[in-house]
Amino acid sequence: MAKTIMIIDDSASIRQVVNITLGKSGYVVIEAVDGKDAINKLNGQKIHLIICDVNMPNMDGITFLKELKQNAGYKFTPVIMLTTESQEAKMQEGKAAGAKAWVVKPFKPETMLTAIEKLILP
Amino acid sequence: MQIDLDAAKQTFIIEASELLQDMEQALLAIEESPDDEDTINAIFRAAHTIKGSAGIVGFENIEQFTHKVENLLEKARLGEIPINSELIELLLKCRDHIAGLLQSASEGQKTGITPEQDALDTEKSLTNKLNAYLKPAWLKPEGDAEKTDTHEKSCSAVKSDNYHISLRLAPNVLRDGMDPISFINYLTRLGEIVSITTITDAMPPASEMNPEECYLGFEINFKSDFDKKTIEDVFEFVREDAQIHILPPKSSIESFIKLLNNLPEEPARIGELLVKGGALTETELEDALRLQSAGTEPQPRIGDILVNEGMVHKKVVDAAIEKQKSAKDTKAKEAKTIRVDAEKLDYLITMVGELVISGATLEQHARRVNDSGLQESASQMSRLVEDIRGVAMKVRMVPVGETFSRFNRLVRDLGREAGKEIDLIISGAETELDKAVTEKINDPLMHLIRNAIDHGIELPDERLLSKKPAKGAITLNAYQDAGSIVIEVSDNGKGINSEKVLKKAVERGLIGHGQNLSDREIYNLIFEPGFSTAEQVTKLSGRGVGMDVVKRNVEALRGMVEIESSEGIGATVRIRLPLTLAIIDGFMVKVGKHFYVIPLDMVVECVELTETDRVEAKRRHYINLRGEVLPYVRLKELFDENGVRPPYENIVVVRYAGRKTGLVVDELHGEVQAVIKSLGRMYRNVEGISGATILGDGTVALIIDVPHLVQSAEGIRQTS
Repeated sequence: MAKTIMIIDDSASIRQVVNITLGKSGYVVIEAVDGKDAINKLNGQKIHLIICDVNMPNMDGITFLKELKQNAGYKFTPVIMLTTESQEAKMQEGKAAGAKAWVVKPFKPETMLTAIEKLILP
Repeated sequence: MQIDLDAAKQTFIIEASELLQDMEQALLAIEESPDDEDTINAIFRAAHTIKGSAGIVGFENIEQFTHKVENLLEKARLGEIPINSELIELLLKCRDHIAGLLQSASEGQKTGITPEQDALDTEKSLTNKLNAYLKPAWLKPEGDAEKTDTHEKSCSAVKSDNYHISLRLAPNVLRDGMDPISFINYLTRLGEIVSITTITDAMPPASEMNPEECYLGFEINFKSDFDKKTIEDVFEFVREDAQIHILPPKSSIESFIKLLNNLPEEPARIGELLVKGGALTETELEDALRLQSAGTEPQPRIGDILVNEGMVHKKVVDAAIEKQKSAKDTKAKEAKTIRVDAEKLDYLITMVGELVISGATLEQHARRVNDSGLQESASQMSRLVEDIRGVAMKVRMVPVGETFSRFNRLVRDLGREAGKEIDLIISGAETELDKAVTEKINDPLMHLIRNAIDHGIELPDERLLSKKPAKGAITLNAYQDAGSIVIEVSDNGKGINSEKVLKKAVERGLIGHGQNLSDREIYNLIFEPGFSTAEQVTKLSGRGVGMDVVKRNVEALRGMVEIESSEGIGATVRIRLPLTLAIIDGFMVKVGKHFYVIPLDMVVECVELTETDRVEAKRRHYINLRGEVLPYVRLKELFDENGVRPPYENIVVVRYAGRKTGLVVDELHGEVQAVIKSLGRMYRNVEGISGATILGDGTVALIIDVPHLVQSAEGIRQTS
């Protein structure tokens, strides 16, 4: 069965790149534009991995992460955080909140795939 | 050869006590600033050194326990365990336990007894707690067992053509969405997993197991053509939450040499170094040692055996020898101070004292002989003697800070127990004090601090009500003042309620009803024996013994103690101690037919007692010293000296505890070095005299007890 991955980013182009790359590799992709939108879209369904941007309007990535960890259904879901080189402080905060996988933007689509493959079984 | 380790053990006990002291300081400091790397490192180093030295001198129990503490500290140092108050509490307890072990080791060395049962119990419970920190995180309970284990594996890896990956995961990986199986699965993309062993040693009993935590470790035999970096990257997301060791196939000699060089600096034996470095297994080492002892005289060196038997490559052995040498060099460099038996120092001081006396005798004789050469040599020698005396005294001086900083722990612990938040502020830590004095002042200070915590500092709520910060402060201060050392213990608590003190003193029958006392006199009542009452007995203080003992101890050191207080703001107890105990610079005077010595550092000036004052003196006992009231004491009357009154009398103005007093004497004789000899038991209670000294010509001069005289003159000031 295809695995479901959620991409949360306010940039439509990033969502698109991720959607196309992952789609090609056989993943089902759910898109969300910010943390709030993502919470609404979780909806109790099984999600195998979440890719999440840090800086977003309405609800940022770290807040989302913290809320996610409160949710029994998703607290073990691996999260890949997207970050830019300059967000060292955010990165520390995220790590403390339980996000250990970080991918630096801009990234090559293959990098993202490799990261995902390290985190979930095919 | 049987080496006598007793002396080394003694040194170790002293050294370790100091290290434990440092460790305690650092632990308390780290509570304030948990991120201070230097402090963490200092704690680690202390434990590390104690462990290393304990092993060398043969205190295995200390070594083993400290080793566990060190393991924990290592994790804390690397940031794998958060440093919080719980951890600090545990580490403080461990420190205490090590101190206890040390204590019984030092007693055991004398008496040969073994540690008591309750010490063993404490050790067991502490070990369990330590393991709780270490165990769920990738380490097996016995640090040593784990080491040999992995190294054995790493050695087998050396011989094989495969990578050996050893993986220990932190408990929280699952919660962070890191599933170990995903990583292991990903490995298969890079090569073939030949074998995998799951290590479940960290798994607690089912009742204690948290299903959300990961207790597993893996040893993976992995066949791959990829480089180490690529394999390492598989675990990039768990690197911070796991211990990962990847040993490349056929690990090269160079990599072992490098590993050896990265080992902490301690002079281990060659074999141990190699085992630590993973170039040799324990079993191989045992075999080699057996070969060594079986060998004919002279015994072959272990390194040669290892090379000959093909266990280790020669280059590696050489590197280990090099490493051992450099470790020894570092040890030698560390010894910057020399430890000297305190008794030897005491003897030195006594001898210097005798030297001073004979020097003075010589000079006196030289003056009588008309030989300028002799006189010059004699005066040169007495200058040298003076220098020697200065140096000898200095040798005994230690900064008071060390004594002070011991109280950090006391304040912290007792403050917590009493539910009070208290800071200990230390100032003047560099002030130097005779070593003997610092030892004797410890107990009185402890008592004063306990009192401040118990009676002085209020509970946080109370403090907030009186608009003070919730956190109280106790200040320990030391400074030099006119030939004495002043140590102050002050608190910013509620101060002393003089009415209460007065009431209690009347109840206790220390004073009569309606007696009119100044505040200072009232505070002094606290030092009366039996003042402290039973109704206020707490764990901290108030057992009915205390302040009078403090006073007695301080007076035994020729010091004095006084209290200042202002209600609602705080109280200060001030201890004044003489700078030295053995030899003083004195100012010699003559009264009647006898010589007296006044400690020079208390002498302010000398003035002539004018004829007018002499006339006035019939009515009063004070003079006008440049507009200041100066009470004076006639030593001639005080000591009942006979003899006619000389045409001119002099007043030596002395100062003590900020108060000036005049001592009327017949003749001024100038400076002398006085070796203090205590008076016989019969004369110990003579008022106004604190000791005696022998002059150059063999006559005895009495040393004047200035503090006492100043106090009695104070009475004159108040009545006038």
